[in-house]
Amino acid sequence: MAETSTPETRVWRDELRRRWALASPAMIVITLFSILPLMVMVVYSFLAPGLYGNVIWEFSLRGWAGVFTERDLFDDTLGIAWAHVTILGRSVALALATTALTLVFGLPTAWFIATRHPSTRAFWLFLITIPFWTNLLVRTIAIQEVIRADGTINRILLSMGVIDAPFAMMFTNGAVLLGMSYVFLPLMVLPVYAAIEKFDFRLAEAAYDLHASRLYCLRRVILPLMKPGIVAGSILVFIPALGAYVTPRLMGGGRAMMWGNLIDLQFGQGRNWPLGAALSVVLTLVVAGALVWYVRATAAKGGRDG
Amino acid sequence: MADRRFSVRHLPGVSGIALITFVVLYTPVLILVIYAFNAGPVIGRWEGFSLRWFTAALENAAFRNAARNSLIVASVAGLVATLCATLAALATTRGRRFRGEGGIYLVLNQPLLVPEIVLAVALMILLAQIKQATGYHGLGWLIIAHSTFCIPFAYMPIRARLEGMDLTLETAAMDLYASRFYTFRRVTLPLMAPGVLAGFMLAFVISLDNVVVSTFVKSPGQETLPTYLMGELRRNLSSEIYAISALLLFASVAVVAASWLITRRKP
Amino acid sequence: MLEVQSLSKTFGIGASAYHALRAVDVTIAEGEFFTLLGPSGCGKTTLLRLIAGFEQPTAGRLVLDERDIAAIPPNRRPVNTVFQNYALFPHLSVAQNVGFGLEAQRRPATEVKARVAEMLDLVQMGHLRDRRSSELSGGQQQRVALARALAPKPRILLLDEPLSALDLKLRKDMQTELKRLQQETGLTFIFVTHDQDEALTMSDRIAVMEGGRLQQVATPRTLYDDPANRFVAGFIGDTNFLQGEARGGSVTLAGLPPAPLAGANARSGPVTVLVRPEHVVIGHSVPQALQVEGRVERLVFSGTDTHVHLRLGQGETLVARTQNSLHSGTALEQGAAVNAFLPLEALRLLPDEAAHG
Repeated sequence: MAETSTPETRVWRDELRRRWALASPAMIVITLFSILPLMVMVVYSFLAPGLYGNVIWEFSLRGWAGVFTERDLFDDTLGIAWAHVTILGRSVALALATTALTLVFGLPTAWFIATRHPSTRAFWLFLITIPFWTNLLVRTIAIQEVIRADGTINRILLSMGVIDAPFAMMFTNGAVLLGMSYVFLPLMVLPVYAAIEKFDFRLAEAAYDLHASRLYCLRRVILPLMKPGIVAGSILVFIPALGAYVTPRLMGGGRAMMWGNLIDLQFGQGRNWPLGAALSVVLTLVVAGALVWYVRATAAKGGRDG
Repeated sequence: MADRRFSVRHLPGVSGIALITFVVLYTPVLILVIYAFNAGPVIGRWEGFSLRWFTAALENAAFRNAARNSLIVASVAGLVATLCATLAALATTRGRRFRGEGGIYLVLNQPLLVPEIVLAVALMILLAQIKQATGYHGLGWLIIAHSTFCIPFAYMPIRARLEGMDLTLETAAMDLYASRFYTFRRVTLPLMAPGVLAGFMLAFVISLDNVVVSTFVKSPGQETLPTYLMGELRRNLSSEIYAISALLLFASVAVVAASWLITRRKP
Repeated sequence: MLEVQSLSKTFGIGASAYHALRAVDVTIAEGEFFTLLGPSGCGKTTLLRLIAGFEQPTAGRLVLDERDIAAIPPNRRPVNTVFQNYALFPHLSVAQNVGFGLEAQRRPATEVKARVAEMLDLVQMGHLRDRRSSELSGGQQQRVALARALAPKPRILLLDEPLSALDLKLRKDMQTELKRLQQETGLTFIFVTHDQDEALTMSDRIAVMEGGRLQQVATPRTLYDDPANRFVAGFIGDTNFLQGEARGGSVTLAGLPPAPLAGANARSGPVTVLVRPEHVVIGHSVPQALQVEGRVERLVFSGTDTHVHLRLGQGETLVARTQNSLHSGTALEQGAAVNAFLPLEALRLLPDEAAHG
């Protein structure tokens, strides 16, 4: 570099070098063990599946073709893989339903916490934070206990004589929806709470002062100002729900499988790594799409505010 | 309702739904904890209070091995992630913004932007090759995988702490003849310590709780607590599983409570 | 002696570049109480930060005792700073704060201890030596910050608006206190402020800054009596600006006879004449003065004084300040026609600004 070396440029150059050096350990670890694996996976999606798992190093689009199509076992014609379509459709539907359900319960809960007196607010917030950091597996076991064949609900109903035989709730779409809503609820409550906590309640008073009804005030003043929190909470629930693995596996079993379990299957019994890789890439792209929508939604809001 | 004082903070029905939410959130966990203390072997039939399932779990060699692995992985990965995150936070919260800072930020949060199952299988594909090439099948792979996705979690509280810190304090130290290192040791480090501790605890809990990445990265025969639990669940549901779950729950509550107390303490 | 030689500082590059300091030249003498005065964004804090070493100049030199210190990092400059928000270390006690600079220099523990005690006595904070800084009041924090900056015996003490966070009463006390400390230690103080009263009462010399440039460097008296330009005249105190015409060694104000003013010889054409409100005399005639007629437009009572706003025959406004005494004589009334006298020695011809660029 032929740049002149004044104290000013020298100090700034030293600082830049130091700051890049400080950031580099984290950058290197993440690049090597998160970004690089993802790139390798993209490569694998374009290879041919090995007979006993892994891949054969030759270019092939069979993995990508397998996402939505399958060859008939007998006459070798290409048809739509309805099993995949069902599973991917179910994943999107259940993730959306989970988002909606957590919103219905999470919004009032966040409002409730944010409007408590400051002295008790910390306690309620603590109550919602505990599940947030508790093992997801443990929480799934807990909700499973309630609805399984000889679980709490069935035991109570049987002992009360309401039913004669256990009510089958496990391994259904409903069970997966309930399980995911249960484990992801804190992810909705926390960002919405953060938005309400920042809300200036004098604005609502101003609305009432200007003869707004409760509903009108809620619709025109409170909800628009809570929108960033609602959008953040929805994205925080939707993304892990779409890629959920543990909860659908325990609550849905083989009958209510989701996207994450389908990916798992290709690396296990299915022995079709390229298909698994392709399914993973598609899932990542869908999630990236949701994130872009999120950035747009929040950026548009910022723009309107000036 | 007529005699109720008007308040803009009051919305009809909200408290009811909120209380239902808290009940629904805590009842299953409480039932689980209660049956962990059941004397009988059948879940659902209460036969009195007992610690026998906790004793059984602690005497179970497979559980102890998994617990040991989990603690090693969570401690080492937590430390590595906290160290990396601390350095990165120092790089991104001090001084003027520079070109590439947005890129650093994106890379630091990248593990959060990809579904966990995708990161898990991607790591499995890569590490399968490396394991074969190096012949090493130890805990190191779990540690490095956990360190990776724990970095963004450790980064959050540390960055928040550093951003809340008055930058002129460091300027003042430099003005008073302190070298860069002396400033860091006497001013920056003591002031950022609570954030670093909170970051470590967060990383520790995140690592301890991880199921998906561990499942795909662990070598055959290797178990962490969650993967052990997952494997046991596939066989049958036992009171011992509930006891183990309760132990994990207590550990999480303890760590969260501790980090809650630390971060809320004023400097 | 500190020499600032054509010092410039530019932040950013290209179209977004911001010139905080444009070729500033000034020499600050040993033991001087030197004040940088100006509105926010004038460059005074940038100049201070350059002297402290927190920023590096884009161009120019900073010469302290015949040595260019521009490239020396702040922790090796014999210069200490009292920060605007004090920047006391919240995790250290008062004594540890004061001893920080000496410990950073690895001075022996006995010396540190003695010097800390001496400094705490100097600012009368010895009794609070073990307190945390968060437990101190604003004025006490101010004293600790001062002791901390003085403890390492700097060649120059820099003070960045140190009194701006204090309330009025405390600020007055601290002004006296600062001046006393400066005289006792004989140290060079460079003081940054946007408060003209503070600058006028405390300083040996003041540098008025605006737009990254020095507008005038002079003693408080000279700044007030002979401002170098319209900005300085308007920034320091209140001033009446009157339009006139210079010709043949005299200045003619609208509708008045020509008056011989100092400096009028070298000028011709339109000029601006300044007169301070307290120099305008109302009610009784004075010798050697211009007499103007006006109508009282507004009376503003402000305790010791009353400001009389006059509308002159030509439509110009003139403000006079009259002292309120027990027997204020004939009370002025709004709308009344009065004669005002402008003593010739109080009239100042504003230097030609075009000539200075």
